[in-house]
Amino acid sequence: MSVLRLRARQPEPPQVDDWAGSLLLRAGRGDQTAFADLYDEIAPMVNGVVRKVVRDPSISDEVTQEVFVELWRLAARFDGSKGSARSWAATLAHRRAIDRVRSEQASRDRQDRDATLTAPSHDSVVSEVESTMDRARVRRALSQLSELQREAVELAYFGGHTYREVAVMLGVAEGTVKSRIRDGLIRLRDELGGEA
Amino acid sequence: MNDIDVHHLAAAYALDALDQRECEAFEAHYEKCDVCHTDVIAFRETMAHVGDSLALPPSPSLKDRVLADIAITRQLSPLVAPPIPLVSRRFQTSWPALAAAAVLVVVLVVGVITFTRGAGDDSFNDQLALVLEQPDARMIDLAVQGEFPGTFKVAWSQSMGSAALMGENLPVAPDGKAYELWLVTPDETMAMYVLDPAADGSVHRTFDAPAEPTAWAITMEPKAGVAVATGDIMYLAEV
Repeated sequence: MSVLRLRARQPEPPQVDDWAGSLLLRAGRGDQTAFADLYDEIAPMVNGVVRKVVRDPSISDEVTQEVFVELWRLAARFDGSKGSARSWAATLAHRRAIDRVRSEQASRDRQDRDATLTAPSHDSVVSEVESTMDRARVRRALSQLSELQREAVELAYFGGHTYREVAVMLGVAEGTVKSRIRDGLIRLRDELGGEA
Repeated sequence: MNDIDVHHLAAAYALDALDQRECEAFEAHYEKCDVCHTDVIAFRETMAHVGDSLALPPSPSLKDRVLADIAITRQLSPLVAPPIPLVSRRFQTSWPALAAAAVLVVVLVVGVITFTRGAGDDSFNDQLALVLEQPDARMIDLAVQGEFPGTFKVAWSQSMGSAALMGENLPVAPDGKAYELWLVTPDETMAMYVLDPAADGSVHRTFDAPAEPTAWAITMEPKAGVAVATGDIMYLAEV
């Protein structure tokens, strides 16, 4: 019987997100103190993403709570080779928030068959930025996008709409929205970095 | 949907902007597609930066609620791929007690938190001396498992919970790779530290030894370190 049993893996090196990542790995071994530290580290980001999508502060609290319980449940499955802990948490947070708004949308649609897609709310992150470095950097990056790219990315990410819905909202072809989103994200990635 | 269409969904996928049907189609594709895989990882990191810019502290009471919840929430086990036995005859014959390692699940911080970094050789030597002064101190050479030029020696004290590693004449790791040290117990194989030899090929490190080792091993791994060993054992000491 061998001592070390090895597991086949993707060849690319994992991105180890030092602080949050190491806390998450410890949490994966049941370390609640590490998880509490992780909470302090990423709760504002998680809550910010959730709040941006769901809007309502009390629902936002609820979803943020669910996100952290989910992070705890899944902590042992965190795989640094598939991205940093922060991006994993941001992804989970966004998914949960989207699930919540989509299920509410679906139930509203059922109640009201005449429901049409709500008008896009165009308050962009730009109006919310403050003087922190992060915000300034993201504002700069977003300003590099064309108006159309920014609109598509924001409606999809913050509005929680599928790109098909965004196409209806903007009155353009689906393929156009798909490429705007893609071009916009590539631009953002180049400005902000795609690394942890 | 053809393949080109699927590739173009990576960005929308990273924004959760696909409907369920497309989402499933994309997920089936992207696990096998390196390009999409890399794109999605990068796009998600990008959106995490955007997320940072949205940072908004949650209600102060939320932390207590979360901590109360997790205290009564069972964690899921890690996903474990089918194991591939390590090719080391000594391993395969000598430790039947380690059968439990078959379902070995390792999730460890790669030497970030508990590691005591020596600021220089003086502090390393002091720490090594301290370890060796302990009544239960042990020192052992790691045996080379093949044609590798360097040597490793490890000293540790269980009562003190500390260890010191000395490597000499080590070749520079290939690009994107690094040596990684493992502490093996009957229950698990712990990732201890990613080692970066100095210009003269030496490594002098002290670190916390959180468990009683039945073996020490060194493998070659991706530079950032891995939680589960992927490379063959290069150096090994059975205790």
